[in-house]
This record gives sequence, structure tokens and C-alpha cells, in this order.
Amino acid sequence: MAVADPVVLGAVAERPARVRRRLRMGAWELGGLVVLVLVSLIAIFAPLLAPHSTTQPVSAGPFAAPGHGSLLGTDDLGRDLLSRTLYGIRSTWLSALAVVGSGIVIGSIVGTVAAMVGGFVDTVLMRVTDLFLALPGPVLAIVAVVALGPSLPHTLLAVAVVWWPWYARIVRGEVRALLARPHVDAARLAGTSRFALARRHLLPGAVPAVLVTGSLDIGNLVLTLSGLSFLGLGAPPPTPELGAMTANGLTYLFGQPWVALVPACAVFVLAFAANLAGDGVRDLLDAV
Amino acid sequence: MLTATRVRTPDVATAARSEHALEVRDLHITFPGGVQALRGVDLTVGRGEVVGLVGESGSGKTVLGLAALGLLPAKATVTGVAALAGIDMVAATDEVRRQARKLHAGAVFQDPMTSLNPTMRVGQQVAEAAGSLEAATVLLDRAGIPDPQRRLTQYPHELSGGLRQRVMIAMAIAGNPDLVVADEPTTALDVTVQAQILELFRELRDVTTSFVFVTHDLAVAREVADRIVVLYGGRVAEAGPTEEVLNAPQHPYTSALLHARLGRHSRRGEPLPTLPGEPPNPRQPADGCAFAARCAHVADACNEALPALEIVSPNRSIACVRRAQIGAHVTRLRAVEEWPPTPAYTSELALQMRNVTKGFGRGKARRVAVDGLDLDVRKGSCVALVGESGCGKTTTLRMAVGLERPDEGFVETGRGNPPQLVFQDAGASLTPWLRIGDLMEEPLRNAGVPAKERLSRVKDTLALVGLPETVADARGAELSGGQRQRVALARAVLIPPTLLACDEPISALDVSLAAVVLNLLGRLSRELGMAMLFVTHDLAAARFVSDEIAVMSAGVVVERGATEQVLAAPASDATRELLAAVPDFEAAR
Repeated sequence: MAVADPVVLGAVAERPARVRRRLRMGAWELGGLVVLVLVSLIAIFAPLLAPHSTTQPVSAGPFAAPGHGSLLGTDDLGRDLLSRTLYGIRSTWLSALAVVGSGIVIGSIVGTVAAMVGGFVDTVLMRVTDLFLALPGPVLAIVAVVALGPSLPHTLLAVAVVWWPWYARIVRGEVRALLARPHVDAARLAGTSRFALARRHLLPGAVPAVLVTGSLDIGNLVLTLSGLSFLGLGAPPPTPELGAMTANGLTYLFGQPWVALVPACAVFVLAFAANLAGDGVRDLLDAV
Repeated sequence: MLTATRVRTPDVATAARSEHALEVRDLHITFPGGVQALRGVDLTVGRGEVVGLVGESGSGKTVLGLAALGLLPAKATVTGVAALAGIDMVAATDEVRRQARKLHAGAVFQDPMTSLNPTMRVGQQVAEAAGSLEAATVLLDRAGIPDPQRRLTQYPHELSGGLRQRVMIAMAIAGNPDLVVADEPTTALDVTVQAQILELFRELRDVTTSFVFVTHDLAVAREVADRIVVLYGGRVAEAGPTEEVLNAPQHPYTSALLHARLGRHSRRGEPLPTLPGEPPNPRQPADGCAFAARCAHVADACNEALPALEIVSPNRSIACVRRAQIGAHVTRLRAVEEWPPTPAYTSELALQMRNVTKGFGRGKARRVAVDGLDLDVRKGSCVALVGESGCGKTTTLRMAVGLERPDEGFVETGRGNPPQLVFQDAGASLTPWLRIGDLMEEPLRNAGVPAKERLSRVKDTLALVGLPETVADARGAELSGGQRQRVALARAVLIPPTLLACDEPISALDVSLAAVVLNLLGRLSRELGMAMLFVTHDLAAARFVSDEIAVMSAGVVVERGATEQVLAAPASDATRELLAAVPDFEAAR
């Protein structure tokens, strides 16, 4: 079958090229991706990994230095820092994913509807998007906590409300560009409904842009959420949260520095790895 | 580095005394991924000569042009010699290459908009090449640009496509270079503008500047070239004086290319002769002659070794081991398929458009594309809609299939399945991330065809356009250009529409592929009894496919009638202009 050849050959020849593209990603970005995978595993398995309770003192007593009966030391109340940090990573990480996830879902819906319907609806939706974009996240979080009481879900709600507009704008732009392509006309002529058009012929094309933004955003969110928690706008104590733990440890910074530094370093590693991994994802998608 | 440059520069300047403007010897170019673009090309361009480099996409013609200019990407593996005015652009350092280009070469590419700097005035850009604004004015004048003084202060976007290409040409000929490489310089232009630009190239020929004119269109090559070099599969198949090669082709490929071409000899209602098989795969080139798999004269010897380019007469060379046996009796390519008879005449309409008006934009920016148009297409007939770009053809077509709604008037399609459209760019009409099978099932699923039946319908339709079932598992990008065209057609006729609208379906295709697509359209429309609305600016294609022609100009149909009648005795200026602009192959003979 001479006619079939290009199909087969195309597929075969593409494989080594793709492998090479993957290798072309820088070592830093690759490292970031690896750390991210590790962090995700830690987040999922924190309850299994944590050697001690996060709220009960351990036998080493308060202010035990790292290595003395507790791997990363204990805090002012004698609680195991390793266990608390692992749980802190879990809550920060999952919160960041949840905010990005909700942003992608809401933003995709708003952006797609705006782009596909166009005209008046587009104008209204985009002005509403701009309105939300103008709200300052931290201030909104303070308002939410004051009005609804301190709790992590309230903080997340406040952050999510200011986070989705970015995705709405990106998705709208991508979908508008895709709408001008002949394949959309072809699908319309095939009798495809509007919903199926969006799901099958438009949104998959916006995935790369959204994925890149999303992965770079996670680093931002780790910093934002830890910052809010540092200011006392996260879950109330004794829930282990990286920001709150750092804030608590500041008092003892010169005597027992590990109390503040352990959770602070965790924030740093998370944000750094997320940013590197974001760059890595972008390289990967750009190359394809 | 600096000293090296100083030593080199005089070399570059004086090298221009070499005998040839371009001398290519045994040039091989391989790109990463194993694409062998050129596989041993020899080519000489004498002083003041115009050489037409003819070949289909993938033949390596563009790469050869780039190699002559030393503009190949660094990742390409190059061996052999490509000497521009005596300077080997393969072995030279970047600095020497740059100097050589500056002193000895000029280039014109297909799309002038991407070659010109959009933020710079035309005058500045040309002056960069010419040295001064005065020199730029002279050049623009030489390139046939009216009122060059005024153009100097304009930006590229303020000029028409034809004028932009003239600006590019003016920049290319600045400083009387030894060689100008023009890569498909008229392909993106309207026929009428193309004719003017070709005329300009003829005027510009002089004793010092040589041109390499890269094109896929034999008629265009005939208009400008002294000598034609035919490339196939990264090698020269045949080279010789234009008239000799085109009137008495000796290589079977050249002959096939000539016969697959639409022209006055093409008879309506009869399939066109086509080349069997697919173009060669540059990743896995044949050990022997690249054309052997598609050649009517193939023998065992063809597959054993690469045919050498033999000089048969002072100016003529041919790469074919069977040359002696074939001689001047190259088998004429014949049509391999037969068509069922055309459906009987009926007055029932497949499409009726009455007093249709459509505009875009609002207020001052509003532009009326279609302005009170009437158009009928009878069931089972084919109407060609011709006209210059911007006359409203495509908008009319989009309204006919229901992709746009008219502002005024009405559009009605006949009873039966909804109309379908064959897009100009078949590849772009396939959703890139979906498999072909998935894409083809979609219209059936939407029409409520049960899952079991869908698969067999898809297979049957793929077979109808001559594709194997395996194509259903591929995505658009994994297919060859020809396969994509077939898939796009198959998808359009999956549920045979009452009306099949075609938007310039062959304008972007190579000669041999265009013939395949036209044959498919002709056969399918007869087998399935579809009416066709065929939008084109190519009168040869219109003559071949259509029963009636409707000529559009400025948003209205200015002339319509039986195809032969309109072309033989055009009644409107728009039609006469279109006819005059066609680079007529037969007339030039």
C-alpha cells in the first residue's frame, strides 16, 4: 500500500524528534518538574509520611534543635516541625491547585461564551471580568475573613474570585483566534452543535496556553496563599500552615531559627520549583 | 575576526569576475529528522540568464534558491558547492556570505508583506539597499511603480500586493547584483497583477543580472525563463532551453507534468490525465530514480542506481537511464478513470440567491462585499464563480452554504441534504487534534446515524476518494498534502450534499495534485448527482469543471452564461480583463 506509507512514516519519524525536544528542556526546568512531582506526592501522602501528630507535643520537648529526637526539630509547643511542614505543604499545594483549577473552569466557561457569542454578550462579560480583575486579592481576603470568619475556604474563595479573570481573557483570546480557522467552519457545516463545537473543536486548542499560564500561576499562588496565612488570614491555629508557622517562628528567629526557617524554606522551594516547572511546561508545549 | 574580514572583503568584491552568476556542483542538503531536500544537484546560471526552476512542492526548488543565497538554516547538513559569483556559499564564513549577498545577490519571496519591514517607510527600506533616497527613487521607477516620489514616504501596508512585490523587486535589483533569486514571486497575486509582474521581470532582464525564477507553474516559467530546470525528488530531472523542454520533453516526469496541466487541450466532461502514486518521501528517498515508482517507462535498471544527469546536446541534459530507449516517444500520460455520464438536464434548483446583500463592519468602516446579487445553480450542474480577489466571491460562497447570513435578500437551497464546502486549505479544515476517523464520524453522528453504520460509511467514503482505511487513525498533520485534500473531500461528501461549494480548491496545489482533485470532483459530482458552485480565479479550471460561468465584479454578477460562450465571446470588461491576464500556455507556443 504505497498510499498508506506517509501515515506510517510520519508517525515513526516523529518519535525521535519528540524525545529530543523533551531533552532540550533545560536542566533547571527538568529539576523543577521533578520537584513538583515529589511535592505532589508529598501533598497526597502527607498523612502517611508524617512521623508524628501535627498538634500534640513529641517527647523531644519544645525547641528541640533539628536532629535531636526530631528530624527538623520542634516548635515552641514541642510539636514536630517535619510533620507540621509536610501538612503545611499539603494544604498550600492543594489550595493552590484548587484556586488554579477553579480559575481554569470558570475562566474557560466565561471566555468561551464571550468569544463564541460575541457582540453585546462579549462586551458585558469582558467588562465584568475587568471588574473582578480590579479587585485587590489580599484586601478581598481580609474582607472575607472579617465577614465570614477565619477559615481556609473563605480565604480560598476570596483568592479564587480575583484569580479567574486571567483565564477568561486567555481562553477568550485563544478561542477567538481558533474561531477564524477553517476547521471551525468545517465542523459547523458537519452540523455540530455549539456545545460540541466548543468542547471538541475549540477548547482543546486553548489547552496549551491555559496549561502554561496555570503552571506558572501555581508558584504565584503558593506565595500569595502563604503570605495571607502569614498575615493570619488562613486557617486558624493549630492547623499547620506554612505562612502561619513562619509568622509564629519569627519571635524565636535569633534563638531557635529553625522554627521559622523550616516552613519558610518549604515555601521557597515550592514557589521556585513551581516557577521552573512552569517554564518547563512552556518549553515542552512550545516545541510541540 | 576583524583582520579576517578585512582580508576577505576584497575577495568577495572581485570574485564577481567569475564566468557564472551561479554554479552549483553536486549539492546535497539534509535537514535534521532525515529530510533529504537535495540529493546531488548540478546547475549553472550564466550571466544575464533567466533560469526557471520548476518543480512540485517537496522537490527542493526553494531550498536550492536559499542555498544559492547562503541562507540555509545552520542545522542543515550541506555538502557540495553553491558558488554565487564565484564565492562558495557552502564553505564560506557567515561574514563572507553576508558580504557576498550584499554585493552580488538579491531576493524576492512569495509574500512581500512578510519580507518588508512594516514599521519602516518604503523609501528608507529601499534606500538601505540602494544607498540613497535618490537611487531608491530611480529603482522604484525601474520597478514600474507609478509616482515613486510619493511612495517613498508610505508604509508597506498602504500599498497593494502588486506594488509591494514591485518594491521587493526594486530592493532585489539594487546595486545591479549578479543574481536575483525570485521564489514564487507571483503565486500570491491576482492573475491580472501576476501578468504585470511577469512583464516587469521580462523588462528587467539585462546583460549583468541573472535571475533564478522558482515556480511550480510551467506557464509562468515559460513567460520569463530562457532555460528551464525541472527538479524532482531533490534532483534535476531535465534541463534545457524553455521552448525545447516544453515542446519536446524527454524526461517522463516533464512530459507527465505538461499533460496533467489544465489547459485548452483539457476537455470538459473527461477526466484529466494524472500521475499514479504519491510524490517521493524526502525522508526515505529511493535508491534509484525517484520517479521510477510513477513512471510508465520503468525498467529494472531505473531502481538500481541514481540516474546521472547526461548532457545530450549543448544546452540540454536529462537524467534518465532509459533515455535512449524512450527517445522522443515519451508515452503521453492518459486518464486512468472513467466518469459516469452527467445527470440529465433539470430546471430544479439546488441554490437560489436573490438580491443578496452582505456587508461587514459598521458606520464608516462598513464595506459592502456583496451588493444585490442574483445567482442560480441547477441540480446536477456546475457553476463557476470567477473574479478578482476582493470581488465578493468567497462571501457569496459562504452565504450559499449557510456560514454567513445575508443582510438583505434570500438564499435558498434545494430539497435534500444540506450544502457542504470544500476549503481552499484542506489541511486547515481538519481539526488538528482530532483523528480523521473521529472527524468523519462527526457529521454522521450529528445526523443521527447509528454507531455501527457510521464506521462502515466512513470506510466506504474513504475508499471512494482512494484512501486506505488506516488513514482514519491518523491526524491531519501526519498525512501528505494529497491525502489531506482527499480527506477534506471525503468529509464533504460523506452525506452527499445537494450542493457542493468549492473555494479555490486547487489554487494552492501542485499541477499533478490539482488534476487529481479536479478528477475527484468531476467523478463525485456525477456519481452522487451533486450540484457544484466552484469559486476560482483560474479560468482554465473554470472552463474544465463548469457548465456555466458567473463573472463577479464589485459584489455583483456582471456576466453569466454557458462556459464556452462566455469565454469565447466575453461581454463585459471584467471578463475580458481576466481572460487577458491568464498566462496562456497554448497561445505562447
